[in-house]
Amino acid sequence: MSKTVLFMIGSIILVAGMVYWLFNNERSVGRPTASNDSKPNPTEGTKSGESEVILLCAASNQSVIEQIRKQYEDETGRKISVQYGNSQSLLAQLEISKRGDLYLPADESFLDNAKEKKLVEEVIPIATMPIGLVVKKGNPKQIKTLADLKRNDVRLVQADPEAAAVTKVARRILEKSGEWEAIKEATKAFRSTVTEVATDVEIGAADVGIVYSPVLVPFTNLEFVPIAELEEGISQVSLGITASTNQPSAALHFARYIAANDRGLKTYQQQGFTVGMGDTWADVPELTIYAGSMLRPAIEESIVDFEAREGVKVSRSYNGCGILVAQMKAGQIPDAYFACDMEFMSQVTDIFPEATEVSQNELVILVPKGNPNKVASLRDLTKPGLRVGIGHEKQCAMGWITQNTFRESGMQQELMSNVAVQLPTGDLLVNELRIGSLDAAVAYLSNAAGAAEFLDAVEIQGIPCSTAIQPWSVAKNSKYPLLADRLFQKICSAESQEVFVSEGFQWQLGSKQVNVPKTTTTQETTAPAVSDKE
Amino acid sequence: MKTLRQSHTRKWRDGIFFLVMGGLSSSFIVLIILLLIADITFTSFTEFRNALAKPEIQAAFKLTMASCTVAAIMSVWVATPLGYILSRYRFIGHRLIDTIVDIPIVLPPLVLGLSLLILFHQPFPFSKWFGEGFILDEFLRQTLRFPVSFSWPAVILAQFTVSCAFAVRTMRVTFDQINPRAEDVARTLGCSRAGAFLRIALPQAMRGMITAGTIAWARALGEFGPILVFAGSTRFRTEVLSTTVFLELSVGQLDAAVAVSLLMVAMAVVVLVVLRAIGAGLNG
Repeated sequence: MSKTVLFMIGSIILVAGMVYWLFNNERSVGRPTASNDSKPNPTEGTKSGESEVILLCAASNQSVIEQIRKQYEDETGRKISVQYGNSQSLLAQLEISKRGDLYLPADESFLDNAKEKKLVEEVIPIATMPIGLVVKKGNPKQIKTLADLKRNDVRLVQADPEAAAVTKVARRILEKSGEWEAIKEATKAFRSTVTEVATDVEIGAADVGIVYSPVLVPFTNLEFVPIAELEEGISQVSLGITASTNQPSAALHFARYIAANDRGLKTYQQQGFTVGMGDTWADVPELTIYAGSMLRPAIEESIVDFEAREGVKVSRSYNGCGILVAQMKAGQIPDAYFACDMEFMSQVTDIFPEATEVSQNELVILVPKGNPNKVASLRDLTKPGLRVGIGHEKQCAMGWITQNTFRESGMQQELMSNVAVQLPTGDLLVNELRIGSLDAAVAYLSNAAGAAEFLDAVEIQGIPCSTAIQPWSVAKNSKYPLLADRLFQKICSAESQEVFVSEGFQWQLGSKQVNVPKTTTTQETTAPAVSDKE
Repeated sequence: MKTLRQSHTRKWRDGIFFLVMGGLSSSFIVLIILLLIADITFTSFTEFRNALAKPEIQAAFKLTMASCTVAAIMSVWVATPLGYILSRYRFIGHRLIDTIVDIPIVLPPLVLGLSLLILFHQPFPFSKWFGEGFILDEFLRQTLRFPVSFSWPAVILAQFTVSCAFAVRTMRVTFDQINPRAEDVARTLGCSRAGAFLRIALPQAMRGMITAGTIAWARALGEFGPILVFAGSTRFRTEVLSTTVFLELSVGQLDAAVAVSLLMVAMAVVVLVVLRAIGAGLNG
C-alpha cells in the first residue's frame, strides 16, 4: 500500500474518530454543575420535554451569571445554556437566527434597540452601574476631577462613544455641561469595550478611563474614582425575554431567579452592582390582585394569558371597591390593586403610595332595549313610579359617583325617591334590568358591554363628575413588585387596550403619580366610608 | 598584496551583508520572543496551572484540538483537488473560481460569521426549489436531527471556511511547482488522468499537503470572529480557546487570558513540530 493511500485512510480514520468523540461529547455535555439529574424536576412552570433555556449574555456579565447559573441549576435541577458574546453581536444573532430565550446585554440601550425591532417582550430591571473614573490603586496621578483629565501628564482612554453605553451616557452628560469636546480632544484612544479601558489602565497603557464601577471588581490593582461631573451617569442592566422563545415560562423562571433579591441580585450586589428591590424568590409565585368588579371583563383575559406565559398563579379578587378597601384596612393586603375610581385608591395611600391612571369609565343610564319609558336624562328618572337601581354608595365607587352626580344635578332627593335598589356591583344592576325588576339603572357604560342586545345606554350630559378614573398601583410591601409590574405591562398591551375599549372603557394611561390621601370636603358628606361588609 | 586587500574587502562586505540580513531577520524573531517573554512574565506558573485546571478550559482545549484537526484534514481533502484543478487546467471561469477561493481570506472575520448565520437562518437562496421559506438550519435540526449552528459542527464549519482558503492557496502553489511532464509521460504510457493524479502528482505533493494541513490547522486555531457569531461561545459546548481568551478578557481576567494564550502557543508549537517531522519523514 502506497504512502498516499495510507495517508488518505489515516486522515479519514482520524476525522471519523474526532467526529465520533464530538457527537458523544455533545450528548453527555459533561457540565459538572449541571448534571443534577437526581434533583426533583421543577413544578408546574415546566412542561415535560422543554429544552434547556438559552441565555444570550454580554461577556461583561459572565462572572455574575456563571455563579447564578450554577446556583440555579443546583437548586432547581433545570438547565441553562449561556452563550456569551458582545451585546451587539448577540443582538444580531438573535435577529437573524431567532434563537435564544433570554437576552442580557451590557446595558439597557441594547434592549431598547431589541424592543424597537420587536425581538424582546418583557424587560426585567436587574441592577444599575454608576459611572466614574478608573485609576491605578492609590491614584498616583491624583486624578480627582474632570479638569484633571485634560492635564498633559494624564493619558485618558474611553470606550467607543457609538458602541459602548458608558461613553454614550458620559457624552450625554458632558455635552450638556459643554465639556465633551475638550474631553474628546484629551482622549488618547477610544477602545471597543469598557473592559478594554480598564485593561489599558491595568497594564499601564493609560492613566485613567471612564468606566462603570462593577467592571473593576476583577481588577485588584485598580481604583474607582467617582466624580461630581458624572454623578448623574447611571446605566441600567436589564434582562429581556425574547419574543421568539417557545418556552416563555421556563425562560421567565430563570429570569425571576436572576431578579430575585434573595437569589441572583445578591450575587450582583457582591460584584459591585447597585441592585433594586427585586422580587422574593418563589418557584411558582402567587400574585394577589384586588380589582373592582367592573374591571373583570377588561382584565381577566390578560391575567389568564399572563399566568400561562409566566408560569405563575394570579389570585384575583373582584368586588365592589368599598368592600375591597375594607378588606385591605382589615389587613388583607394584595400585591396590586386596580380600583374603580381614584377615590378608592386615595383611601389606601399607606399601602399604595403611588398610582397610575389607566382608563376612564362613564356613568350612564341603562334602560331596556327600545327605551320603553322614554328616559333621555337624569330628570326623566324622577318620573313617578319608575323603578331605578343604582350602586351602593358605600360598597362601590359606582354608587359613590352616582350620589355625587345626583347631587351635582340638584335633584338628589327626587332621584333617590325612585331608587328601588342599591347593589354593590353594576353587573347585578344589569341582571335586575334584564329580568325586568327595574325600569332603569345608573351604571357604568362598561356594565352594558355584554348586554348590548337587551339594553340601551343613555348618556348623562353636563355633569363632569359622572366619569370614573381607574388607577393601578402595586403595594409598597409586595413581595413581587417586578412581577406585578409585568402584569401591569400586560394589562397595558395593545391587545388589552382593545379589550378595554370594547368593554366600554376609554383608555387613558397616565404616568405614575403620588397617591394623595383623600381629603373630605363639606360637599362630599356622602363620600364612601369603609364598610366591613364581607 | 592587491589580492589580499580584495579578499579583506570582500570579507568586510560579507560581514555587512550578514549584519543587514541578520539584523532585519532577527528583528521579527526578537519581536515574537519578546512577546512570549512579556506574556510569561505577566502571568505565573500557578495562574497557568489554575487556568488549565478549570473544567471549562479543559473542555475548550479538547474541542479546539478536535475541531482544528477535523477542519484542517477536511481542508486538505478539499484543497488538494481544487488546487490541482486550478494549477493544471485552464477553463471558462478559472479566474472567477480563483478569486472566489480568496474571498474568505479577505473578508472580515465577523462578516464571514454573519454570512454563515444568515445562510443557515434566513430563507435559503433558491428556496423555491426546496419549498417556500426553506430554512437550512430548521431542516438540519428538525428533519436530519443534526443541528449545525450554535453547535460543534458550526465551530468546524467556521474554521473550515477560512482554513480551506489558505490550504487551497498552498496546494495551488505546490502543484504549480511540480512539473506536469511526469504526469504527461504516465498518460502516454496508458495511465488515466485519475491514475496520473493519484500515482504521480499526489506523492510529489505530499510535502505540500502537510504544509497546507499545518497552515489550515494553525489558521483554525486562531479563528475567532466567525465562531463567536456563528457558533456562539457557550461554555462546554462551543467554546474554543480563542473565544476563551475573549471571554476572560471581557471580564478583566487578564491572568487567565494570558495563561490560555500561552497554552495556545504551546499547542501550536507542538502541532507544528509534529507535522514538520511528519513532512520531513515523508520527504526522507
